Amino acid sequence: MPQNPPSVTRIKLCRFTAFEELILHPSPGINVLVGANGTGKTHLMKVAYAACDATKDNVHFADKLTRVFMPAGGGTGRLVKRQRGTTSARVEVQLGPSSIAVSFSNHAKSPKSASVRKRRWDAVQLKSVYVPVKEMLANAPGFRSLYAERSIHFEEIYCDVLDRAYLPSPLGAPDARRRKMLQKLGTALEGKVGVEDEEFYLESRRGKLEFSLLAEGLRKLGLLWKLIQNGTLLQGSVLFWDEPEANLSPRLFTPVIEILLELQRIGVQIFLATHDYLILKQLDLQATSQDKIQYHVLHRQEESEDLVCNTVGSYLEIQPNVIDEAFGQIYSLEIQRSLGDDG
Amino acid sequence: MTTLEEGDLLIRLPEDADGRKFDGPEHGLSHCMKAVDWIFELKDRTYFIELKDLDAHDARSHKDADRFVKDLSEGKRDLDLIRKFRDSFLYEWAAARVEKPITYLLVIACSRLDPALLQNQRESLQRKLPTGTQKVWRRPIAEDCLVFNIKTWNETFPEFPLARTSAPDLGGRRP
Repeated sequence: MPQNPPSVTRIKLCRFTAFEELILHPSPGINVLVGANGTGKTHLMKVAYAACDATKDNVHFADKLTRVFMPAGGGTGRLVKRQRGTTSARVEVQLGPSSIAVSFSNHAKSPKSASVRKRRWDAVQLKSVYVPVKEMLANAPGFRSLYAERSIHFEEIYCDVLDRAYLPSPLGAPDARRRKMLQKLGTALEGKVGVEDEEFYLESRRGKLEFSLLAEGLRKLGLLWKLIQNGTLLQGSVLFWDEPEANLSPRLFTPVIEILLELQRIGVQIFLATHDYLILKQLDLQATSQDKIQYHVLHRQEESEDLVCNTVGSYLEIQPNVIDEAFGQIYSLEIQRSLGDDG
Repeated sequence: MTTLEEGDLLIRLPEDADGRKFDGPEHGLSHCMKAVDWIFELKDRTYFIELKDLDAHDARSHKDADRFVKDLSEGKRDLDLIRKFRDSFLYEWAAARVEKPITYLLVIACSRLDPALLQNQRESLQRKLPTGTQKVWRRPIAEDCLVFNIKTWNETFPEFPLARTSAPDLGGRRP
């Protein structure tokens, strides 16, 4: 029997940033995080990403967490949920039988004061990539050396995504499914992505166009093309994508969702945070019953105002659905405008 | 109280409301003219109401519903829906009953249709319906059109509640 590729199976946060206590059991397929602004979608993804990256030998979980969140002055303790007196945060992430946990107090000035506990965590070397909302490929030349040598105010995810994008292609030709994905993206891009002197280019029949001259939405597609082409996104890897809809023409949502579903089918675990109705609807309509999709709905409880999460299996079950509510308001206004007092 | 039925859907009208079934044997011209299901006369406007019931229970109807929703999203049903309005308008004009502005109300009984899709369908129909007025016109043809599911209909028109005859609150019986 084929072994399931490793994937994030559980995330537990206690008194971490905006969360009092939250446990999430992600799907090995696509995990869609939905909720209003300030409900912790990006924080959840950053925690899981930092843990995945800490499967590498040279990456310390508390360090990574601090560099990915970038609290003021590198003070790890600032990641503890704000409350009076001394308190501490704990973060646990599981990959099947392996787990990693970090705890630190709100007085921790740096990651060094955090305590990390691992169980079989080094047994898996997980490939992961975090695609932030802001596109970075156009600003890539010189960015990594600048990041390494100077203190610049960018979370580490921006440097990491460039590291992944610069990776050369693996040996051997891509298999048929990867070729198909690259072809689909290539059609949407009308070309393929090349790199020269750290500068990313779109190479099409019209010539070479540097990324700084390319529409921002197309740069995002170019990044996805590169990550598939260079083998970053293969079976057993994890993709985190914050607001895939950002700067992307809605027409391109169709190929993007097709690619995400296909990546999930080859064994890539995916986390998406979105505010977009069309992204959710495309996913809902394109998915087959074999696809593994979960919607994690983050919202604040009415009385305690604590952040909680409902996990559901289909778009229609999303509750509360802030995107649907926004459309409902527009729809009601249209009816009111048309019928006046009679409606 | 007057009640009107169309398949499994039933509407209750208050005593003073003037509503009638339009698409039935009394129409008499169904071989050459399409017809909306119901016509309601209000004090200052007329509603032409067309019903599409997609939330059926048997598997075959499920397939039909899927096809209808797909056709709807691709605009393939629009001309048929517009023709129902136009033919009904002509029929009523010939009967000298067109005296008030007419709003076309389409009810699609389908829980899958959320407000975004209803709104999209409304805009698609609106573009094809002769709303507004031309310079040479002395009066408008269609005032506007709106698209509802059962839930949004009942929220908008609590005075004309729409329900299923098979719904538990009706005891699963026709009244």
